[in-house]
Amino acid sequence: MFCSQCGANNADNAWVCVQCGRSLQPGAAPAPLPVTGVVLPPGATVPNYLVFAILTTVFCCLPTGIPAIVYAAQVNGKMQAGDLAGAQQASNNAKMWCFISLGLGVLVCLLYGVLIMAGILNGIRHAN
Amino acid sequence: MRTNLRIDTGKNWWWGIAVAAVAVAAVLLRAFDPARSGIFPPCPVRYLTGWYCPGCGSLRAIHEILHGHLWVAWAMNPLTVLLLPFLAYGLASHLLFEIRGRGLPQPYLPAVWIRALGAAIVLFGIVRNLPFHPFTLLVPGAMRHL
Repeated sequence: MFCSQCGANNADNAWVCVQCGRSLQPGAAPAPLPVTGVVLPPGATVPNYLVFAILTTVFCCLPTGIPAIVYAAQVNGKMQAGDLAGAQQASNNAKMWCFISLGLGVLVCLLYGVLIMAGILNGIRHAN
Repeated sequence: MRTNLRIDTGKNWWWGIAVAAVAVAAVLLRAFDPARSGIFPPCPVRYLTGWYCPGCGSLRAIHEILHGHLWVAWAMNPLTVLLLPFLAYGLASHLLFEIRGRGLPQPYLPAVWIRALGAAIVLFGIVRNLPFHPFTLLVPGAMRHL
């Protein structure tokens, strides 16, 4: 029989699942789901993009980096509270604001590059 | 219980581009002084509003660090000088994660610390615009004449 909680294959006469320990007797109440203190699978994290957020705030010189830092804080706060779905949502928001900052920063650089090139071309035209 | 947990498996090609961009930026920042040369764009916040942002002076600070002038770098932007070791550690960790699938040890940062850091960055951006002593010392470069 297959465990209804983790799907592990157990002997037909087993009382408890060999993998997760859930009772395999019909009518047994499902094990209560942990609400807090969720143990993450090894190596898995909900990224908070904090380094990226600070980099874009300080080097792109843009206020759009601030929401990224706020959401990075939310990721860690919700992780600690065991709210994985909320942490993932905050993580997505942090990522989005990081990319908005980065995009605006790159845009400013490109714009500046175009203006410089235009200035140089103008200078060449006047020199001739 | 199944959660939609995104597990980073690494090997993202754009990390190569990021490393190349950082290397090019470092070479350019070592070779050209952002205070004098016009090849670096100005801070858009300063350009549009006339106010200093928390990051104003950071390019000049890194230029000075790459030349070993820590004090001048500090005068340009103390926030950048303070944050740079942590940013370098974080980036190195990300890079190692992409290369070997395991980053450097990451201490868990409580959410209040991150909020405090964000508040400190905003506060720094405000006080360096105050037009009286001692806050005028936070204007990029002002402290180098102390």
